[in-house]
Formats: sequence, structure tokens, C-alpha cells
Amino acid sequence: NNSSQLSSLPLHILLYVNGVYYIFYFLATLAMIIYKSQVFSYPDDFLAPDLAVLFLMAILEVPRLYLGFKGNLTEAEAPLGLSLGLTVGSVLLCVYLLLWQSYVLWADVLLNAVLLAAYGLESGLKVTAIAAFVS
Amino acid sequence: PADTSDAAQARVRSAPAPVTDVARLCVCDLLVAQCDTNCCCDPDCSAEDFSLFTTCSIPVVIGDSQLCSQKAAVYSLDVEANPPERIFKLIDQVNPSIFCIHATNYEQALYLKSPEIPTAENFDELLDKFGGATFSAEPDSWNLDPDAQNPSEANETSRYEYGVPVQTEDAFLRLPSPVVSSWCSDANPAGFLVNQATKCIRSVSVENCDSIQALSMLFYINSSILASVFQVNITVQSIAVQSVNGMRTFLSSAEALRLPMVLDGLCINAVLGVNYHITHTDTGEIIEAAAAFVLGAISREALSIEQSFEISFTQENTQPVPLSGNPGYVVGLPVRAGFQPQGYPFPAAFLSNKHGQLTILHSTSTQDCLAAQGARAPVLFGYNMISGCKLRITAAMKCQPLAQTLLDVLKGQSFPEYVASFGNSQAQDVLDWVPITQLHISEQMISHTLQSSCQIPVSLGIEVKWTKYGSLVNPQARIVNVTATITSTTLKQLPSGRERIIPITSSVVFTDISSPAEPSYKAWPTINIKLPFDFFYPFV
Repeated sequence: NNSSQLSSLPLHILLYVNGVYYIFYFLATLAMIIYKSQVFSYPDDFLAPDLAVLFLMAILEVPRLYLGFKGNLTEAEAPLGLSLGLTVGSVLLCVYLLLWQSYVLWADVLLNAVLLAAYGLESGLKVTAIAAFVS
Repeated sequence: PADTSDAAQARVRSAPAPVTDVARLCVCDLLVAQCDTNCCCDPDCSAEDFSLFTTCSIPVVIGDSQLCSQKAAVYSLDVEANPPERIFKLIDQVNPSIFCIHATNYEQALYLKSPEIPTAENFDELLDKFGGATFSAEPDSWNLDPDAQNPSEANETSRYEYGVPVQTEDAFLRLPSPVVSSWCSDANPAGFLVNQATKCIRSVSVENCDSIQALSMLFYINSSILASVFQVNITVQSIAVQSVNGMRTFLSSAEALRLPMVLDGLCINAVLGVNYHITHTDTGEIIEAAAAFVLGAISREALSIEQSFEISFTQENTQPVPLSGNPGYVVGLPVRAGFQPQGYPFPAAFLSNKHGQLTILHSTSTQDCLAAQGARAPVLFGYNMISGCKLRITAAMKCQPLAQTLLDVLKGQSFPEYVASFGNSQAQDVLDWVPITQLHISEQMISHTLQSSCQIPVSLGIEVKWTKYGSLVNPQARIVNVTATITSTTLKQLPSGRERIIPITSSVVFTDISSPAEPSYKAWPTINIKLPFDFFYPFV
């Protein structure tokens, strides 16, 4: 039965782990932004964009993961391709939080690096899966 | 020329750039071109200077320690070497915390903000922002609208608390007082419930005395006091005119305002003293304000006058009774005394007023008992006093009227019957009042034992016994016993034409009869150990 199954198991596992890790990432980054606003001088003009990016990334993550699961399980390229596109947006937002936040703490660097690595691996697996589905 | 002025303006507009290189930063380098002691980072110090140091006052110069990795200049003294030398190391200090700042994109985060240098363009704006007594930390949210602050102020002026300045329409109720020197300063506000009396000197000149504001009555009653929702006008209670030799006359019509004017080379109607009386409710709202003025004349030679100001606060519907201590008597305050109105059982109130104060004879310069009627001094707690006068007895004086007159001289018009045992005894508490025990001692001369001879009182001795009452660390004085002893002596009939002088004395003595306090200690805890009865089992 393995030869006829095109869905990628590693992609499924990675998407699942990504979902769990993202919940932890979101809560940790939000807590750290609150910590930074109390300990450092964080005027509203600089706090608002950082919070906006974080929440936008959370909003993007939900359809991204859903489409990823659905595309992989139904072996359809369209949802998987859409998920890949959303991943690109998420990667950009993650890079912003890694490099262009007002205060980048060492913990921020670690969390974002892990998330970027997960995104990168995911994108690779998605491309492989799309290639498998198309051909 | 235009370019240089622009460049000059650009230079002036920004403060000098801050030094951020830790190797060049030295906080202990205070003396210019000289070596500071124990300052290891001072560039003016030579190796010989370093060998004399004992320690480095600044061991590390570092930027913000929350950064993950930063340069730090470490200074230390190597005392092992001979001579001691300074070691300077530039190291990378690493902050091991996981929440260290890796990078910032917000430039002002780690540096203090350079203040704006005022120029001709931004001066008005900076004055608006920072010219007041307070300004908020976030300049963006500073509210320039003055109307928004008024509703909150209206609530606060209704209720005054102790010490809060009494507000009037334009500023505060002024009580001019001497500040630093004896000259009057008009910027002293009167505090609510703070009874004050001040005296200060004001410089005047007779020529323009009608233009000096502080000499005119209007200055003191012009603005009305803000209280709850309405304003209380300051009314003129009374006006006393003081003549040049010090005599004061009360004016009957106190409504008319008298403004200073120049007359015959004198400036009349100048304010020499103001006495404010403010009436308030028990919740702190001012309901009435009155001012009593003393006006006087200033002569041409006078360059300055002394003005005296007083303010007193009274609660409405009460008679202010000055306390002599709370609760124990305070040394120096008058002993409170009173009468008990007739009636049985004890009626509720004592009449304790100025007329019933405990007083003794006040010595005068003439020292004549019969001439100095009525001069009395209040008995102050803790102050032993003795006073007296001399009585000239002639042959024509009759005994009984003389004895009565001397009794009046010694005891005064209304000698009280009770003395308050505490400084704050209320008239209703009968048990807090101590009756005055009156004793009569007559000095009988041994050779003259005739009972019908005349006895005249010659001395009054008041002995006040008091004790310390209350806690050991804060004892309060409490009067326990008051004894007034009148000593009389027989008056021998004088042959006609002769006269005798008898000294009459009155004294007050305060005796401390407090028993020594015994501090008591808690009992030491006892250790209650009993061996079990079978402790020595095999042997017993």
C-alpha cells in the first residue's frame, strides 16, 4: 500500500509539531514583549508595530496549518501550494521579529531561529509533496 | 554670512555628542590636568602616581549591563608588584542571562535623551511645556487644555484639610510673614486650621503711601475665599485706630473702608495689623471670614513699619477653649480652673472662662498693694512664682476693711473653686476637676493671745501637687491636689502718726509627688521537665 500513498508522513509530523511549537512561541513572545515594555523604555510608537506583526503571524498560522494538513491528506496540490504561499509570508514576519524588533533578546533569537528552521524544513517537504502529487 | 549663522545655529541646537567608548570614559577624573587620587582611569596620572594608590575607586567601566555582549574596561591595581602598578584590560563582558538584549533597533533605548537646546524658535513652546511647576514624563500626552483641570479642582476646594493653603479667587489667602530676614513677604499662604501670628517689617515712604498696596485695607479683603460651591467674602469685623503714642480706639462704624492718604505730613489709615477670624464647619468647609484691622499713622521720618498678622480658626457653634495640654499639662500653659454653679446633685457644666482663671498677684513697679489693684498674672503650670507688694499701714486704717481689701488683693476678684486635673479636662466631667483646699493659718504672736485682735492676711501660698500619669515613656502631668494657704497675722494698733510697711507675698509652688515608676517584666518562662517515673528502671 505504501507505493500508492503519496501523502508525506514527515510533513504531517512536522506540521503537527509546528502547530504545538507555535502556540508556545506565540505565548512566549507575547510575554517577552510585555516584559520588555515594563523593564525598558518602550514607547507606544514602537510597541504597536511589534505587537501587530506578532498577531498577524498568529492569524496567518491557522489557515496555513489547516491548508497544509488538508492538502497533504487529500493529496491535492492547490491547498498545499496556498499553504506554501502563506509560509512565505510567515517567514517574512518571523525575520522581522528576529532582526527588526525594537529589542531583540537572546531568547527571541532562539525562538525565531527554531521557527525559521521549522518553516524551512516544512517548505522543502511541501515542495517535495507537490512534486509527488503532480507527477 | 548666512551659512556661518546656520552652522552656528546647528551647532548650538544640539548638545555635544556623548562619549560612549568605555576605554576613554572616566567618571572619577574630576580635576583637570591633575591626577585624582585612587582614580585608575585618569589619563593625567603617571606610573609613579599609580604606585601610590591603595585601591581603584572605579574597577569597571561598562555600558548598559543588560546587553548580551559588550566591551568593558577593567582597572585594577597589582599590589604584588613592587612598585604597585595599574592594570588596564579591555574585555568583552558576556551577560549569561537568556533575556539579555541581543540587538536594538530603537536608538534612544540605551542612551539618555539629549535635551532640546532652547533657541529663539522653540523657546515659547519649551516654556509652555516645561515652564510650570510640574510637567509629565511623556511629553506627547501633556494636556495643554487648562479647562480640563477645573472640574477636579472644584471638588477639592470644598473641603479643606489641616495645613492646606486657604484658596482665594486669585491665589491664596496671604498672611505676610518674615522669610529669612525680618522683611515682609506676601507669598506666605495661610494654612487651614493652622493658627499663626507673625510680625514683619515693611519698608514705607510717606510720599507714596497710598500707592503701596500692603498698607491699604483693600489688599487684605479684596479677594474672596473659595469654599464649596460659593465664595466667602472677607468682612471687616472691627477697625481700631492706633495713635502715635500707642493708644488704640475702636471705631463704631466698621463698615466704611478707610484707605491710606497723606494728611499733614503723616500717612493715616495705614494697616498696622490684621487679625483674620475664619469660621468653619466640622467637615472642613469655610463658612465665614472676618478681619479685624489696626490702622495707624506713619510719620515722615519713618522708613519702615512693623506689621503684625494673625489668623485663627473657630468651628461654628462652639466656643473655643484653649487647652493646656492633651491630656497632661504642658509646662508653661495656664492652669485651667473654674467654678461649680450652685446645685445638687452636681450640675453638668462648670463655668470655666477667663475670669475664673487661677491667677496670682502681679508685682508692679510701684509695689504698693492698694494702688495696684487688679494686676494679676495667670498661674502657668510648672513655673513656681512668687510676687508681692508692700502695704503701708497708717493708724487711721480700720482693720476689717483692710483685711477684706488684702484678701481681694491676694486672691483676686473671683478665686476659682476647682482646678482641672488634666490639660484637656472637659467641663462636663466632674471627676476630672480637683477642688481647691483652702487653709487659714494665723500667726499668733506668743505674747499677744487676744482673740479679738485684728487678723489681716499677709501671704497666700498655692501649692499644686502633681504626678506623672500614664506610660513610662510618655508620662503626662496630672494635678492631684491644690491647696491655697492664707497666712494671717495680727495687726497691732499703731500710735497715731506712725506708719508701718508690711510685705505681702503670694506664691505658687508646683510639687512633683509622683511615685517612682516600677517597670514590670514578663516572668521568665519556666522549664518544666519531669523525668518519667521508670527512668532508672533496672536500678530502682
